[in-house]
Amino acid sequence: MKTISKVLPAVCAGLLLTAHAGAQGAGGGFNSQPAAPQPAAPAGNAPASGGSQQGSQSFLGKDMPSFDPGTEVFTWDGKNWNVNDNRLFQARFEKYLNAPEETSADDLHYQQIIQRILDDLAPGNATIARVDEAFSLLPKASGYQIDARLCDALADAVYSAWRSQDANDRLARANEGLADERKKTEWNAQMAAADNKMDAPPGGKSRDVTSQWAKNQQEKRDAGMAPYVQRLAEVNAVIKANELKKEVSAIQMKIEFQALIVQFFLQRRFQHVLMATRFYRAVFTDGDTQLRVSKEAKDLFASAGGMPPTVGTLDSLANEFIRDAHEGVDAYKFLLQQNELESATKRLAESFMVGEYLPELRTLPREQKRKALEFTQKTDQLISAIDVKDYTLAEKIVHQLEVTAKDFDNSKPMAAVETAKTVSAMHIAKAKNAAVSGDRTTLEEELKAATEIWPRNPALAEVSGMIFSQADVQQKALLDFDQLLSQRNYRQIYDDKIRFIAAAALDPVRRDQLKKVLDNMEIIEGAIIRATEISKQGDAAGAWESVEKAFAQFPDDNKLNQVRADLTTQAADFVRTLRTAEQLEQKEQVGSSLAWYLKAQKIYPRSDYAQEGIARLVKKILPET
Amino acid sequence: MARRASSSVHPLWTLGIVGAILAASIIGGYFLYGFVNDPYRTLEPLDVASYLENSSSMRQNIYKLDCTIDNQLAWSRTEGRLFSVQANPGGDILPILVPAKLNDVNIQKGQKFFMRIIVGDKGILQVEDIRKV
Repeated sequence: MKTISKVLPAVCAGLLLTAHAGAQGAGGGFNSQPAAPQPAAPAGNAPASGGSQQGSQSFLGKDMPSFDPGTEVFTWDGKNWNVNDNRLFQARFEKYLNAPEETSADDLHYQQIIQRILDDLAPGNATIARVDEAFSLLPKASGYQIDARLCDALADAVYSAWRSQDANDRLARANEGLADERKKTEWNAQMAAADNKMDAPPGGKSRDVTSQWAKNQQEKRDAGMAPYVQRLAEVNAVIKANELKKEVSAIQMKIEFQALIVQFFLQRRFQHVLMATRFYRAVFTDGDTQLRVSKEAKDLFASAGGMPPTVGTLDSLANEFIRDAHEGVDAYKFLLQQNELESATKRLAESFMVGEYLPELRTLPREQKRKALEFTQKTDQLISAIDVKDYTLAEKIVHQLEVTAKDFDNSKPMAAVETAKTVSAMHIAKAKNAAVSGDRTTLEEELKAATEIWPRNPALAEVSGMIFSQADVQQKALLDFDQLLSQRNYRQIYDDKIRFIAAAALDPVRRDQLKKVLDNMEIIEGAIIRATEISKQGDAAGAWESVEKAFAQFPDDNKLNQVRADLTTQAADFVRTLRTAEQLEQKEQVGSSLAWYLKAQKIYPRSDYAQEGIARLVKKILPET
Repeated sequence: MARRASSSVHPLWTLGIVGAILAASIIGGYFLYGFVNDPYRTLEPLDVASYLENSSSMRQNIYKLDCTIDNQLAWSRTEGRLFSVQANPGGDILPILVPAKLNDVNIQKGQKFFMRIIVGDKGILQVEDIRKV
C-alpha cells in the first residue's frame, strides 16, 4: 500500500492525461486557480493552488504530482484539488457507473487474447516461438475498441526493436569483414617492412655513407608501408564507428520502448505494462533493464522501490495496482451488501481511479454500480445544496442518505445546516424587532445578513413577505387616511379606526391627526347616543339640542346629520321657535328675538340654546346685570 | 160659549225675559266696568303677532298691553327691571322693560297689569305706565 500511495500521483496524472486536454479550461474542479487561501468550503471540493508559482514552461508543470491520502488532496503543477470531488473525475466516474458491464463475447475474447499474450511471455514460457505468437496476437487485440490500439503501439515498438537489432547484426557482420581486412592489411604492412630489410648495407667505413644508406632504407620502408597503414587506420575507424552506431541504436530502442511502458503505466493500462515489460525482456536479452527516463520520473519510481528503477519496477507496480483494484472491487461488493454505501462508493472510486481499464472494474454489473451512482449523485446534490446555501434541500438529502447509507457521516453537513439555520434565525429575529420598532436601517441589514447566510430560508421569505405585505397595507392605509382626512370624512376614519391606528402608529404627524379625528368622533358618537336616549324618553327637543351642539362642530358627519334631521322633524315647533329667535337676533331685533327665546324656553325649559340666547339678549338690554 | 183666549203673558216667559235682562245687565256691567276700569282704553292693544314677526316696523309706537307677570329676567338699579309677561289674550310670552322710574311699583309673578308700552330701540318693549288690574 505504501508503494501504491507513493506512485498514485503519477497514476492520477495519467488519469488526467487521458482526459480531454480541453478539460483544463472547463468549469469543473480541475482548472487553474491563482494561489490563494482555500475558502472554508464544506466539502473541500474546489481546487486551489498550492505553494508553487505559475508559469511553468513544461506541459506537465515543473513539479511532479503528489497525493496526500489523509486529505485525499492531489497536488500537481501548483494546484490542489480533492480527487473525490474533482469534476473531471466525477464525470468519468459517473460515466463508468452508468456504463453497462463489459461481459460481451468481444470483451471476453479480448481478455482471452491479452491473457494468452501474457501467458506466452511469462517467465519460463517465452520461447522464440511463443514470443512470435504473442507478437502475432497484438494486432488482433488492437482490433477491439477497449484496447484503443495500444497493442498496435506495442507491436510497433517490438518490431522497431527487432529491426534495430537486425541492423546491429548487419553492423556486426560488417565489422567482422573489416576485422579480416584489418588483419590482411596488418600482414601486408609487415611484409612491406620485411622486404626492405633484404637489401645489404654498402661496404666501407665511412659513417656518412652508412648513415645516408640507413636513411634511404627507412624512406623506402615508409613509402612501402604507407598505403597499408592508412588503410588500417580507415578500417579501424569504420569498425569503431559501427560499434558506436550499434551501441547508440540499442540504447535508443531501449529508451523508446521504456517510454512506451511508462506511458502505459501512466495511462493505467497495467495489462499493457505487463505485456510490454515481458516483450522488453524477450527483445532486449542483454539483461539491461535500467530505466532511462527523466530524473523526476526516475525519482518517482525510485521513491517507490528505494532503488534505481528498472523495467521490473514498473512490472511489479502494475501487478500491485491490479491486485489493489481487485481488492477494492471485492471490498465494494462486500460493503454494498452491508448497506454501507459511503465506504463502498469510496472504495469503488479509489479502485476506479487506479484500475479504470482493468477487467475487475469493467465487468462489474451495472446494477451494482448504480447503487454507488445514486449515492454519488446524492452526495453531489448535498455538496451543491450546501454550496448554494440551500439548507432545506441539504437537510432533506442528509436524511435520505441516512436511510440509504447507514455509514453516512452526517455530522459535517448537519453542523453546517444547523449553524446556518441558527444564525439566520437570529438575524430574522433581529429584523422582526427592527420592523416593529420602525428601524428601517437595521431591518435591511439584518434581512441582508439572513439572506446571505441562508438565501432560501422559508422563514426568510415568510418574514419578508409579511414585512412587505405589512408595508403595503400600512402604506395604503396611510394613503386612505390622508384622502379621508382631506374629505373631512371622519366617519369613515372612525369606522376603520383599527386599520388607521396600526398604520399611523409609527407616523407622529398622522398619529396626532388621527387622535384628533377619533376624539371628535367620540364627541359625535356621544351626542348621538345621548340624543337617542333622550329621544326614547319622549324629549325630542332635548334630543335635538344634544345633536345640534355636535352638529355645530361637525357639520359634515353624515350619521349626525341624519339623526339631526330626524329629530328636527320630531321637535319641529321648538326648532322653528329657536331658529326664529336666532334670525331675529341676527337682525338686531332684540325684543322680538328675546320673545322667541322665551317661547322656546317655555317649550323646552332645559334648553341651553334658549337659556344662552336669553342671557345674551338680557345682557344687551341691561348691560349692568 | 167659546172661551176667549187669554191675553196675559205666561209667567215662564216673563221669568225668562227678566232673567235675560238681568244677565245682560250683569254682562254689560262687567264690560262697562272693564271699560271704565281700563285706563288705556284709548290706546291700541299691542298686536303681538306682528311684534313677534317684525318689531322694527312698530318702533316708537305706543300700545297698551294687558298681561300677567311671568318672571323677572333681570334687574338694574339704574335701568330698571326686565320681566317676561304673558300677554292676554293669547298667552304669548313677551319681554318688557320696566324702567327705574317705576321701581316703586311692586311687580310680582302672577299679577295682572295694564301697561302702556312703547316699542323702543331694537324692538324692546318699554313700560311707560303701569296699572294693576
